[in-house]
Amino acid sequence: MLRLKYFCLIVWIVVAGCSRQDTVRQISLEDFFTDPVKTSYLISPDGKHISYLQSYKSKLNIFIQSADGKKVSRITNEIDRDVSYYFWANNNELIYLKDKTNSDRVHLWVVSKDGKTSREVLSEDNIRLKFINPTRIWNDELLISLNKRDSTVFDAYRLNIRDNKLVLAVQNPGNITNWYTDQEGKLRMAISSDGTNETLLYRDSESDDFRPVITNNFKTLLAPISFSGDNKETIYALSNQGRDKTALIEFDCKKGREKREIFSSAVADVIDGVHSVRRKTVLYAIYETWKKQRYYLDAEKKAVFADLEKKFPDTELTIVDRDSSLKKFIVRTYTDKTPGAHYLYTLSDHKIVKLSDINPLLKEDEMCEMKPISYKSRDGLEINGYLTIPKGTNGLDLPMVVLPHGGPSSRVSWEFNPEVQFLANRGYAVFQMNFRGSTGYGKEFWTAGFKKWGTDMQNDITDGVKWLIDENIADPERIAIYGSSFGGYSALHGLCFQPKLYACGASYSGLINLFTYMKSTPPYVKPSLEMYYEMVGDPERDADYFRAVSPVFHTDKIQVPVLIAQGGKDPRVNVNGTNQFVKELKKRQVPVSYLLKDEERHTFKNQANRREFYRKLEELLANNIGNN
Amino acid sequence: MNDHQPLSYRKNYLLIVFFLILISISLVVALYLAHNLTKKYIENEFSSNKIEVLEETIKPYNDFFQKKVPEITFYQGFLDSASASKYADTIFRKYSFVENIIFYDIQISNHSLSHVSLHSLGVELKSALQFKRHMSPDSVRIFKGGIPKNLFAEEAREFNKMAVKFLEYVQSSDTTKAISNDDLLNYFYSITPKRITYMNIPGTDELRSFKDLMFKELPPSIFYEEDMLTYDLDPFRLEISNVHPELYQQISIQPLVYESIDTNPDLISTDIPLPGAFSDYKLYLSSSRKFLSDETTYRFMPIAASLLSIYIVLTLIAYLIYRNLNVNSRMFKLQYDFINNLTHEFKTPVSVIKIAGNNIRSATILTDKQRTHYGKILDEEADKLNGLMNKLLSFTQIENKSIQIKNENIILAEFVQRLINAYQIKYPDFNISFELLDIRFFETDPVLLGSIFDNLIENAYKYSPDDRRDLLIRISSEKKLIIFRFIDKGIGIPDSEISNIFKKFYRIQNQYNQTGSVGIGLAFCKELVNFMGGKISVKSKLDKGSEFRIELPYEPEN
Repeated sequence: MLRLKYFCLIVWIVVAGCSRQDTVRQISLEDFFTDPVKTSYLISPDGKHISYLQSYKSKLNIFIQSADGKKVSRITNEIDRDVSYYFWANNNELIYLKDKTNSDRVHLWVVSKDGKTSREVLSEDNIRLKFINPTRIWNDELLISLNKRDSTVFDAYRLNIRDNKLVLAVQNPGNITNWYTDQEGKLRMAISSDGTNETLLYRDSESDDFRPVITNNFKTLLAPISFSGDNKETIYALSNQGRDKTALIEFDCKKGREKREIFSSAVADVIDGVHSVRRKTVLYAIYETWKKQRYYLDAEKKAVFADLEKKFPDTELTIVDRDSSLKKFIVRTYTDKTPGAHYLYTLSDHKIVKLSDINPLLKEDEMCEMKPISYKSRDGLEINGYLTIPKGTNGLDLPMVVLPHGGPSSRVSWEFNPEVQFLANRGYAVFQMNFRGSTGYGKEFWTAGFKKWGTDMQNDITDGVKWLIDENIADPERIAIYGSSFGGYSALHGLCFQPKLYACGASYSGLINLFTYMKSTPPYVKPSLEMYYEMVGDPERDADYFRAVSPVFHTDKIQVPVLIAQGGKDPRVNVNGTNQFVKELKKRQVPVSYLLKDEERHTFKNQANRREFYRKLEELLANNIGNN
Repeated sequence: MNDHQPLSYRKNYLLIVFFLILISISLVVALYLAHNLTKKYIENEFSSNKIEVLEETIKPYNDFFQKKVPEITFYQGFLDSASASKYADTIFRKYSFVENIIFYDIQISNHSLSHVSLHSLGVELKSALQFKRHMSPDSVRIFKGGIPKNLFAEEAREFNKMAVKFLEYVQSSDTTKAISNDDLLNYFYSITPKRITYMNIPGTDELRSFKDLMFKELPPSIFYEEDMLTYDLDPFRLEISNVHPELYQQISIQPLVYESIDTNPDLISTDIPLPGAFSDYKLYLSSSRKFLSDETTYRFMPIAASLLSIYIVLTLIAYLIYRNLNVNSRMFKLQYDFINNLTHEFKTPVSVIKIAGNNIRSATILTDKQRTHYGKILDEEADKLNGLMNKLLSFTQIENKSIQIKNENIILAEFVQRLINAYQIKYPDFNISFELLDIRFFETDPVLLGSIFDNLIENAYKYSPDDRRDLLIRISSEKKLIIFRFIDKGIGIPDSEISNIFKKFYRIQNQYNQTGSVGIGLAFCKELVNFMGGKISVKSKLDKGSEFRIELPYEPEN
């Protein structure tokens, strides 16, 4: 009788144990880090065809399908290089650029939508190409800028896609970094830079000369969006001139001053003004708090989004492309729990048709919520971030991965991040934060990070971790720090200077040496060197600071296991420096795992290499902060 | 019969003596061998442990060479006079063997006025600074701009050598590959005796630009800054760390060709060359023979001590075996005596019985008187034999604790009187009296108690002269004890024998026990009393008499 009781108890324990495990299925690493099958959806100007990139013989090629999803065909036949960029030139032709990996040759091609005819319109060695006004062509002429004449400056050219004639439109006096066209495709505006200061140049017509309108320090933003509807001297622009948070404004190029503020937010920068080429106006402004928000300037657009938001509640929505009659849209959705899908939305009947999922292998209900959080840094500055708590836990005393973002002039956003979800699925809480120096929270917050690498910026990370320990969310014995690029720098800096806080760490293309980082600025961005000196520091005058905060000089302080990933051709991190760094750690018997991929650059392109890195990361975390 | 006994034991003693001699020889041999091995071992260590001394001494140099020198590359050419001075300070503070550092600030470009150039790429010396230990923070600028005429020939040579190497590297390098370790050492280091020169390794992008500048017709380029440092090293300032002070009395750094001219035959020495930039020098290690032999003694001591302790243990075991043998031999002798006596005891009655039997058989007519006489003899001798056997039997039983006590309540007066009556009949000339004080009953095994009485009464009779055959039995109680006293007026026991009389088979040699005594009586009594949980003791005066006192546990009646 008693024996039966015990048997029942054991069965109950086993069943309970299993059922708990069932709630959190361990999803294979490969499922998280899978390249989407179909990407770069576009719609033809007449709205009859939908195009996308898909792999063919392991290279990306352009595919076309009719709007109803039938009649799918591949129109390019690239088997050596990926198609890296493409757009519809008109209803019948598409323009595409081949990937220039392993050569500095530019290949620009035109292909008919049936794929029957294709021809090269531009092919040149050792140059770089930038589209001045992508997706718009006037009189079969494409506006591009090339550093053909002088490798350090980009001149503006008109390229005729019929006869391949390349005509110099404007010669760059040497300091112009951006060219802008008006509503009719005339080059009437430009930005020049001396490295630290940016000057807006304007002219009434192409026959006039460019005239400087206003000069701003690089910390002050004046980013033209487009000419306003009357195509005269008024432009739409994003500006934080005289204010902390970037606003959407109208700017008078003749008078050289702001005409009026269209919209601004008290909490965050306006990050975009979405302009309609056809309607010749700005439709809505986007600003980002914990999530992207839209401020509508156009009732029609507001209605469209209202309908979409009803169909996709609590979802980030982006209109990727539209036909010329503004009747059909390609919409991309995503949330924190799903990378989402591409849809075709038809305005007339509000019908939504799914084109394809970004990653159908992941189930939304198995992913973890990315919760916005905020805390105070030691000097009282409010820091925003996100915390992802693994499913199936009570949210207390968790092993945690601290994930500082790269840049550092960028920010972490509410979105589907396969890295975060992968770590959460393995049972780790993931902490991401927008430390000072991150963008999107105003000028002051951004510039507060200047020359504060490893000091105030690192403190913001450390303070966040300590706050989460105080809140009993993180288990103080089981915290790891991992990041790539600047995040990798923060991770290594944390391991060097807060050795008790972290049980292990990983750096992916981490900037281990500020001297190298400054040296890596290639010749064609030399004008911005002064700006880098102000943002990061002058390697000669601030040599002591560089030395004090560069992890490469402090290998003797690292005590815990480290994983380091490095591309052999990384222009920003000298592989010799990283080798030396790893050698030092090995000599000191610090457990170090080194993933060196000779052919990779700053970001690993090869999916197999990326997966190998994540496998190593998984192993490192399991061994040092894992649950077992 | 007596010949065998001592012979068998004497053989064993010989064995022990032999054993002792053997282990003593072993000890001497072991000590000798151990000492020799220790000496050999120390000599081996003397010649092999110099590697450890070298490793320890050269550690700061290796650290300097593998960590601090390539650290220059971390600066990516951004070193200037201030940061170079700081860098030099850290070096001087940490590495005492660095004497002098020269910092060359180098510019690389395709400008035509370079100091050293290959194709269109040139290396130009912008400035050179010298840092010395214990110098004012302002370093000496030994060169700045222009033609390096005030640059010392030696420094100029160093710069030219490195610049040429660097240009060669740019010319031959493959920019698609990472720099191999061989190239690293060949092109970016120059290691000569007492001097290391190092140039920072440019990044891949930079190298590509250099290659372009070298081979292409390009407009005047910007100046690419690179750094080069020369370290002058002083081997004599290497701190020697003698990690084996027990082996090496003196360690010094000497030129590679140095040989001691000390003719002292007592001095032994060994040497090992230093690596890298110190390769013209060696570590010279020496010790006197006395020093090493002291060390040998020092290490030999514990070994000797352990050998000795093993020896002592073995000797102790030998002694214990010897003692055991001794005891056994005494026991053997006692039992042998006993059997002899016993045989004798048995023999007498048996021969009497045999004679009586023979007489009866050979007599034709047996008169009544003869019949009673022989009958009495046979009866008596049979009783004697029976008594002897009973005694032996009970003694063995008591010894093996195999008899059972059958307690009953006895009336003491009756019990004693009956015994006395029996003895009065047996020995009419024996005057036995008893006194019973304040006690009437005693619970015990009457057979055992009777045996004790028998033995003591028998003894009192046996060891009394004919005219003093007197015995007083006094019974009294004392707390939880009952005390029996047997007081006779016999011959007494000499003091020297008092301790022996209770021993088994022990007999005092005198005229009173020539016959009919086995030496078992008192031993038997003692066994009995002990068995019953009591004590027996004796007080005696020679020629005056003895008093045997027996104490037995007693439960007084309530």
